[in-house]
Amino acid sequence: MSPLWTFLPLGLAVVSAGTPWRFRGLSLSLGLAGLAWVALGGMGWALGWGAPFLYLLLLGALTLGLAPYLPAYLAHHPREAHLYSLLIPLFLASMAGVALTSPGFGFLFLWEGMALLGYFLVALEGPNALVGGRAFFLASRLSGAGLYLAFLGHGHLGADWVWAGLLLGFGVKAALFPFHAWLPQAHPVAISPVSALLSGAMTKLGLLGLYQSQYWFGPPPPWVGWALVLLGLLGAVYALVRGLGEEDLKGALAYSSVENLGLMLSALGAYFLKPMPLLLGAFFLQQVAHALFKGLLFLGAGALEERRISHLGGLFRKAPGLGALALGGMVAGAGLPPGPVFLAEWQLYQGFLQGPFLMPLAAGALALVGALALYFYVRLFGLAFLGLPRGEAGLHWARGMRLGLGALAGLLLLVAVAPGLVLDPLGIHTYPNGFLLVLLGLLAGVFYRRIRQLPQRVYGTWDCGFQPLTPRMQPNGLGFAEPALRLFPFLRLRVGEHPRLEEPLAEVYAGVGRAYSRLAALVQTLQSGSLHLYLLLQLLTLVVVLGVVLL
Amino acid sequence: MTALLALLLAPLFSGTVKWLKARLTHRQGPSPLMEYRNLAKLWRKVWVVPHPTTPLFLLGPIMALLGTLGALALLPVLPGLAFRGDFLLALYLLGLGRFFQMLAALDAGSSFGAQGSYREGVVTVLAEPGTLMALAGAVLLGEGFSLSGLPQLGVENSLVLLLALASLALALLAEGARMPVDDPTTHLELTMIHEAQVLDHSGPLLALYELAGSLKMLFYAGLMALLLPGSKPLVFLGVVGAWVLVLAYLETYGVKLRYLRLPDFLSYNTLFGVLALLGAIWRF
Repeated sequence: MSPLWTFLPLGLAVVSAGTPWRFRGLSLSLGLAGLAWVALGGMGWALGWGAPFLYLLLLGALTLGLAPYLPAYLAHHPREAHLYSLLIPLFLASMAGVALTSPGFGFLFLWEGMALLGYFLVALEGPNALVGGRAFFLASRLSGAGLYLAFLGHGHLGADWVWAGLLLGFGVKAALFPFHAWLPQAHPVAISPVSALLSGAMTKLGLLGLYQSQYWFGPPPPWVGWALVLLGLLGAVYALVRGLGEEDLKGALAYSSVENLGLMLSALGAYFLKPMPLLLGAFFLQQVAHALFKGLLFLGAGALEERRISHLGGLFRKAPGLGALALGGMVAGAGLPPGPVFLAEWQLYQGFLQGPFLMPLAAGALALVGALALYFYVRLFGLAFLGLPRGEAGLHWARGMRLGLGALAGLLLLVAVAPGLVLDPLGIHTYPNGFLLVLLGLLAGVFYRRIRQLPQRVYGTWDCGFQPLTPRMQPNGLGFAEPALRLFPFLRLRVGEHPRLEEPLAEVYAGVGRAYSRLAALVQTLQSGSLHLYLLLQLLTLVVVLGVVLL
Repeated sequence: MTALLALLLAPLFSGTVKWLKARLTHRQGPSPLMEYRNLAKLWRKVWVVPHPTTPLFLLGPIMALLGTLGALALLPVLPGLAFRGDFLLALYLLGLGRFFQMLAALDAGSSFGAQGSYREGVVTVLAEPGTLMALAGAVLLGEGFSLSGLPQLGVENSLVLLLALASLALALLAEGARMPVDDPTTHLELTMIHEAQVLDHSGPLLALYELAGSLKMLFYAGLMALLLPGSKPLVFLGVVGAWVLVLAYLETYGVKLRYLRLPDFLSYNTLFGVLALLGAIWRF
């Protein structure tokens, strides 16, 4: 990839800065999408150099949703609004740059820039966000370390070491299983538009990096493929189970991102082991679908003033438009048929079943993921949007936000009706999903109208005749998940007055965080402000560097 | 085509099971054709809209029926649609129906609906992987990655197909909300799974749910029929008839498992699924 491409999105960001957000967002999204469109020009994106442009299209699509949403959202959250409207275009530009750059110094520069901007965007939200921001920051350091190992070691170290570095570097960003823990901490604390960008776009760049690495650094050794398949599926199951016990709506959505990313990683791993177009189709289609539906759901969560699931309920009656859009996003998210995520999983199943050695068994894990995702999204939508309201929390649902969500929902529908937009360049043909969607919609509509016209009478929900139902009789967030959580004993459920879910992994990471802080504090003692010490350090550095160079 | 046949057959199936259960306990029992009249009666009734509900309450039964019918349409018992990977779409269409059914149960805001909803979720989590693996094992032995190319029970593939059949049988009991897993006649809230979800639905909505429930069992029976040798429609009728006997026997002389024992029971489903898939991989 020519470095010239890198400057185009940066230029776009600079040009668009200074105009009001309304126009800036629109111009950015159109610019990104247009750039991708021109560059692709019917050549097909699936070729080695074409894949990055798919990510530009994705960024453009997300920005199209953000353009009307952000002014309406920031009008209600005036804290640091000007900083957000400066940082978000820069963040977008850095992501576009990462997608377009080939490995080298420029790539690392943009990658670290992206991480730094992401950190600011997460941590800006106030003192509560600092913990999440710190997790994000530590993860970026880990990711950076992996990339330095791979990039510097390329040509000196063996392929095993290079790929280990790449797995760490890109895998941490893409929430590979043991390193996923930062994501559910960082995504929910940021403001909703930022969560949408982090989850919808930034994590995908880790996947793009891994995919492109096979062209940059040569084919991966087989253990990389197996590791990706195993860790991806393990991460997907783990994240769904953990997410079932999550009380914060955005936190649960973040866990669902870990699940989706896990599936994409496993698709890529299987592709490394046996290059089948089906697996590539699953890999890319799920990214497109996930970016759109998760962007939709995160932006939708931004309309709520209360995000604790056990304090929500009955939102559908308050805001039917939001409810319908969220339902669409959640049907897609649960991986159910007319949605594009199902199409991706459908290909992944077939890929797994034709895979080498024991890989067909992975189809069973995928089915478990499917069943858990169903449970997971029923819980989110059912407890938050249906039933009796469990609180009086307000709703901020302005016109611009509707437009933004509507744009993303429209794009999601487009991908569901015409998955060929993504899949045709790969030479994959699926069953006619658009036909199924239209048929199901029509039949459901006909039935709905017919039964609506039948005689009916409004009455209270049956309460056994003892005492009237109160909202507190509905299960709360943890209560609804408890029977499933019992099946997975790796999470300890503490019951009692304040029931909560304990995650063993969190303790490990807290230990790592403490160790890093202690190390940082040690280094900090060097920053004494004493000029003498600094001069001494410079001299020592010079001596060491000269020594290394001369010997 | 298969969906239409099943639609005609479904009330007869559940009606006959009810009649036979009554006969086994020395009661007169309703005529096997009673279910048709029952559905017609329900359709004409005034239905109750619990007041906190949303359009989802109505969409639940509709999607439960449509999802099940869609899955049945993909079964090549009678000639119909067939394409690569249709078995995955069929299982997930059932899932689509289940998703809306679980949501509709939460919609009325009662604790019953919610209980039924999460119990259904647990049954799905327990049953789905095994069923899918068993079916995938059978599909791998056949041709074209499709339900229309499924192999038939013979000497060379007997082990895999028997395991798959056993797994599908357990799946029918779990998904059809039948005896060891759920008791279709119970009205004790501690034990209900399916009934708790449909408790607030009445009239035409209940009719759709009842139809969808019997159709779901016919779907699994149809899958089993595809694995057996012989002329498909006849084998299908035979399998359905066999299930009438089995269900009536199980629900007369059997007991419902405690809810917390479900993982033990359904782990056999998973085990059979894993073994069937392993058998298909290694061709033993």
